[in-house]
Amino acid sequence: MLEITCNDRLGKKVRVKCNPDDTIGDLKKLIAAQTGTHWEKIVLKKWYTIFKDHIKLQDYEIHDGMNLELYYQ
Amino acid sequence: MGSNKRHKTEKTRETKKKRHRSRSRSHSIEREKVDKHRHHKKHKRRERKDHDSDVEIVSAPPPPKISRIPHALTPPPPPEISRQRSASPTKGGAAQTSLSVEETNKLRAKLGLKPLETSTTSVDDPNKIKDDLGEFYHKPAPNTSDKVKTQKIKDRLNTQKEKRQIESNLSKLKTLGESDSDDDAKAWVQKNRLLQLEKKKADERAKMLDQLDEEFGIGTLVEEEVQSERRSAYSNKDLRGLKVEHDMDTFEEGKTLVLTLKDQAVLDEHEDVLVNVNMLDEERYSRSNLNKTKKPGYDAYDEDNFDEFGFPVKTVLDKYDEEIDGQKKESFAIGYDNAKERKQRQTEIVKHRLANKKLETLRMPELQLASEYYTDAELAKFKKPKKKIRKIRQKKMLKADDLVPDTTDYLRDLGSRRNSRHKEKKDHEDPENLVMDVDDTENTSEDLSGVKIEDDDRELEWQLALKKAQRVKLARQTGVEKVAQTIKQEIDNSNDNQVGNIVLNATAEFCRTLGDIPTYGLAGNREENVQELMDFEAEGIKDETVDDGEDADGRGAWNTVKIDEAAAEPITLEAAILDAEPSLGQGVGGALRLAMSKGYLQKEDTNRPSASRFAHLQAQNYSIEDKTYGDDDKFGRRDRFNGPTSEFKERDGFKPNVKLEYIDDDGHVLSAKEAFRYLSHKFHGKGPGKNKVEKRMKKSEQEVLMKRMSSTDTPLGTLNLLQAKQKETQSPYIVLSGSKQLQTTSISKTKH
Repeated sequence: MLEITCNDRLGKKVRVKCNPDDTIGDLKKLIAAQTGTHWEKIVLKKWYTIFKDHIKLQDYEIHDGMNLELYYQ
Repeated sequence: MGSNKRHKTEKTRETKKKRHRSRSRSHSIEREKVDKHRHHKKHKRRERKDHDSDVEIVSAPPPPKISRIPHALTPPPPPEISRQRSASPTKGGAAQTSLSVEETNKLRAKLGLKPLETSTTSVDDPNKIKDDLGEFYHKPAPNTSDKVKTQKIKDRLNTQKEKRQIESNLSKLKTLGESDSDDDAKAWVQKNRLLQLEKKKADERAKMLDQLDEEFGIGTLVEEEVQSERRSAYSNKDLRGLKVEHDMDTFEEGKTLVLTLKDQAVLDEHEDVLVNVNMLDEERYSRSNLNKTKKPGYDAYDEDNFDEFGFPVKTVLDKYDEEIDGQKKESFAIGYDNAKERKQRQTEIVKHRLANKKLETLRMPELQLASEYYTDAELAKFKKPKKKIRKIRQKKMLKADDLVPDTTDYLRDLGSRRNSRHKEKKDHEDPENLVMDVDDTENTSEDLSGVKIEDDDRELEWQLALKKAQRVKLARQTGVEKVAQTIKQEIDNSNDNQVGNIVLNATAEFCRTLGDIPTYGLAGNREENVQELMDFEAEGIKDETVDDGEDADGRGAWNTVKIDEAAAEPITLEAAILDAEPSLGQGVGGALRLAMSKGYLQKEDTNRPSASRFAHLQAQNYSIEDKTYGDDDKFGRRDRFNGPTSEFKERDGFKPNVKLEYIDDDGHVLSAKEAFRYLSHKFHGKGPGKNKVEKRMKKSEQEVLMKRMSSTDTPLGTLNLLQAKQKETQSPYIVLSGSKQLQTTSISKTKH
């Protein structure tokens, strides 16, 4: 289980618990559930890499306590 | 949904009427142009969110997507969300929201995801490492201290165990004290008695059996059997003649070895051979070892070439022996070999070999303390060394045999002092001999014409020895005979000396040089002499020609001393000083000569090129002597400027008064400083600048003016004027100011 912090720097900061073998899409759904945004509107970024929905967290080497940038499209 | 939205709008309406109005006004338009004014809408959304984010969330998702994912639309129940203030609220200013594990699990269940793996990773083995490639278990490094600890404990346990074992073993034994207390004298006696009884019983039983045997005749049977057995047994005599294929020396006495029959082909008719398997192996091994270490070819210094006595073992080209004859094997037959004989044979061989050799011990003579004094034995041996007879070199020119027929006996007699003393006595006894002594060689030399004999001390010695010998001889002879003999010898001697060999001695040398000095040799001043004498050559003075002739003889020639000539020399020189006036009557030459002698014409010194004459040939700007100075390094560099080593006696008192003066181009005498500057400019080929030159010119001009200036007067001649005025006014003063008053007073003064 990991806990990831997602922050759009506009006032929303969410800590999400998930499994390392979850996909980014799953993560987005969890975030959406917590924030109330539609999950398809969410874009997760780390620096300039936009995480794709079908790839697992462990493949992106997203570990416990990492910070992801939360954007909306 | 719609109700929700409405509810929110109502809320906003309540709080901010103004805004609502504006929003409601633009609402319809917004709906139409959702895509165009997206950012505008977003902005609004954010504003709204500030008030209530929960309500806003619901309104955001577009309608078609809502239908597709219904659970996403369901807002999380407000009580479930636990709001967490982030540790640093300033960071982004956002409230951090997180769900608990149970909540997320519920949510995940709704989303169709598997529940969170809460415990698996955390409870996992700490040594397990997850990697991209899989899971690894890292084996912890062995703790050495633990190991040591366990080892120590083990050791302690072991020692304890051993102790226990030993104790248990010892517990069975009786200690000395225990046995003492246990054994009584009685018991011991009883035991011994029992033993004795048993022995007796055994003896009796044996006797009984023997008796029985004898009765039945079994004893003889047994004996026969034993004998036959012995006969038939395989014993030494059966082994006799069997061949053993090993070297006899390999067997050691008192050691048992099992020999077996060697493997042989059945059809071979060879006799049986005994071998030992181990020894065979050893032999093979040593052979292979030897083959390995052996160098190919012949090595003269190889140790194997010689046996222990230093005799060559191998034959010529022995390396091929094996190939030709096959392997040689040492063997012997049992029973036929007598060890004693063999040894004897060996010693005989060695003796034979050593027959010609000489034995030398390596033992040194024993060391002895050196004493300062001779022992008696040594003293007895001690003899004074014979006095060395001085060996006299024999010279060819004076043959001793000619002088004395038997010189050998005088040589012998000379040896001891005692003899000489005897001889002296004899001399005193008959003074005749003394008279007869004719001993001076000087006299003989007088007889010789001109040439002196007698070279050095050795020669003298030789002569003395001869004389002594003669004396001794004479001492034996008597009377007139002696006289005649001596006279004859003297004559011989003188004749011998005259033979014509030249003998050099110090006086002769001295005389020779004496003769040399007045003459003009090649020594060096000859040339000058010739020049001096040139003037009166015409008069034809004979002496000179004589001198020249002598010069021509060369240095090494022998000159007789001529005192007359030496006296004549000054006279000729006097003639040179008083020069005769050349006559005018013999042509132009005579006139010229006269003029020259009078000094009207200057004679050119052809022989001595002076420095001034060839000044124009010298380098103009370079005055330093050439450093290379030719190639002949006969003299060291150091000696180059030292000049002649001989003293210059004629100028002994000469002390030159050297004054260096430098003069510049204008003829001014330069001071040391100026001279340096001048030379420096010359050396570097670079003169002073224009200004410097002008300055110097000015200075020199001023100097000239200064010199010209009179020391008694000012440059304007005021003193002269003053004096003239004083003369004119006839007064010892002069009135400087023009005021009348003063003048009148002065006048009045004069009047007074």
